Amino acid sequence: MEARIILQIQIPWNPNRQSSRRPSLHLPRSFIRASSSTSQKPRSYKGPKPSTNLVADFISSNDDLARSLPIYVGGASLLAVLFNRTVSGIAPVADASSSQSRADLLALGLAVTNLLTGLVWLSIRPKSITPVNPEGVDCKVVDSDLPVSIVSELLWAWESLKVATCCKSLVIVYNGICLIQIGMVAESPQDKKRVIVNTDKLMQGSVYRGVMKSKAQSYLANLSLYPGRSELAFLPANTQAVILQPLGDKGIAVIGGNTIRGFTSSDQAWISSIGEKLDATLGRYFIDSAEGSRENY
Amino acid sequence: MSIRICNLPFNSSFAPQPRARVSSRSTRVFARTENDTQQQQLNLSVLRFTFGIPGLDESYLPRWLGYGFGSLLLLNHFSASAPINEPQLRSEALGISLAAFSIALPYIGKFLKGSVVEQRTLPEEGEQVFVISSNIGDSLKEDLAWATYVLLRNTSTIAVLISIQGELCVRGYWNCPDQMSKAQLHDWFKKKVDEIGLADVKETLYFPQYEGSSASWDILPDGTRSLFVQPLIQDIYEPQKMDGFLLVASTAGYAYSDKDRAWIGAMAEKFRG
Repeated sequence: MEARIILQIQIPWNPNRQSSRRPSLHLPRSFIRASSSTSQKPRSYKGPKPSTNLVADFISSNDDLARSLPIYVGGASLLAVLFNRTVSGIAPVADASSSQSRADLLALGLAVTNLLTGLVWLSIRPKSITPVNPEGVDCKVVDSDLPVSIVSELLWAWESLKVATCCKSLVIVYNGICLIQIGMVAESPQDKKRVIVNTDKLMQGSVYRGVMKSKAQSYLANLSLYPGRSELAFLPANTQAVILQPLGDKGIAVIGGNTIRGFTSSDQAWISSIGEKLDATLGRYFIDSAEGSRENY
Repeated sequence: MSIRICNLPFNSSFAPQPRARVSSRSTRVFARTENDTQQQQLNLSVLRFTFGIPGLDESYLPRWLGYGFGSLLLLNHFSASAPINEPQLRSEALGISLAAFSIALPYIGKFLKGSVVEQRTLPEEGEQVFVISSNIGDSLKEDLAWATYVLLRNTSTIAVLISIQGELCVRGYWNCPDQMSKAQLHDWFKKKVDEIGLADVKETLYFPQYEGSSASWDILPDGTRSLFVQPLIQDIYEPQKMDGFLLVASTAGYAYSDKDRAWIGAMAEKFRG
């Protein structure tokens, strides 16, 4: 579900405007007017349509090539300057006496600038880490006592995480009950089925206690380095990164991803916001149901 | 096989220090064979040059050098004595095209992965508004309030508008008349949105370099640079029927990366159906 610029350009562009390097949103002089016959139908959209930025698309898709481009340009111009000098028979002497030398020196300076910029771009290339497919079984288990609204909210959270991050497994434990266990789950060696979440063991473990005590999200960027790994036995064995999000002080959401350091800081912020929302929703439901059961006595 | 150009030490700020080996002259090239199982990459550590002046963006250095050297080249050309021979014309042409390329380099660099995203600036005048329709149930109101709050907090959004079947929730900095009651403001926004016809949008719209628009769009705050509209699909089996839309605007250009747009789409999914 990648949001891309899909609308085609339907308005005749003024070709002179395309020559500027900065592609800006040039508005057409006449908007598309589509008539709406009845008043109940929404008025048709009259407004600018997004344009495709060829430069941006090219660079985003050919990242490596674009990074080394200044190096090639700089290197080629360096050679071209020397070649020009030798071909025209002027001695390659770098002094500023003749205007030819000055022009050559300026071109050399620019070539060096390009070379260095290319080197800087290469050095700040983010390391690309390959995702690791989690080993286990795909499962979708939701606690059967929950009302439809809660289930849809939990499934919405799972869908968002699945689409927007590298998350492949999600387990939510609240009030001592495992509410949802969805995504890739470890396969138990005995009966080849999913490993059921042992909530007692989880809640007595150091991982859960640490998160509850700090009341803050815990991001284990490289799960293999973490000694408490054994307490999360329900996650696939080769889960690469885990986020432990406390839901208030009664629950925890365990989110497993397939890439080391796969969750960005933006992901972490979003996950903590979702955690707060889930805590509000679940807290209210459990308080209501607790009061409801108390009234029955 | 990896080639490492070592500049020691690798510091981000270029300050004169007693260990004066921090200079571009002392570069040594080591060539070693390494077992790089994952990928064969050149491992380059280059001194990151910076003047150390806060607020000065050194990534624009190629652009300034391009302008400076380009103008010097032109000066050289016009001050040269009478017939300019061909080799000089060739090097000047090369120099001018290099200058043009250097000027474009910061712009190209913006689209590379890992580039720094511009920060949003809050509009100086105007106040934040928070208008929510009164015709909707409490749980939906709560969801809308939470969703708009989270969008304002987690992305570089300054203005957000969610419309569900004609009922609006508007939050952030908007260009709307003051001294209106909440109900009047809601109707005013509804009228403006109907004029633009945003309810009819069928696919996502992303304007990363928005530069102002026709009269109906003036509800957007001044200085809006990015705009993203996500329609809410009512029913996946009837993709033509839209349930509403979600609009976010920011004062930073290219504010919504792929990941941001994926998360905004996920928020829009919450209000589906």
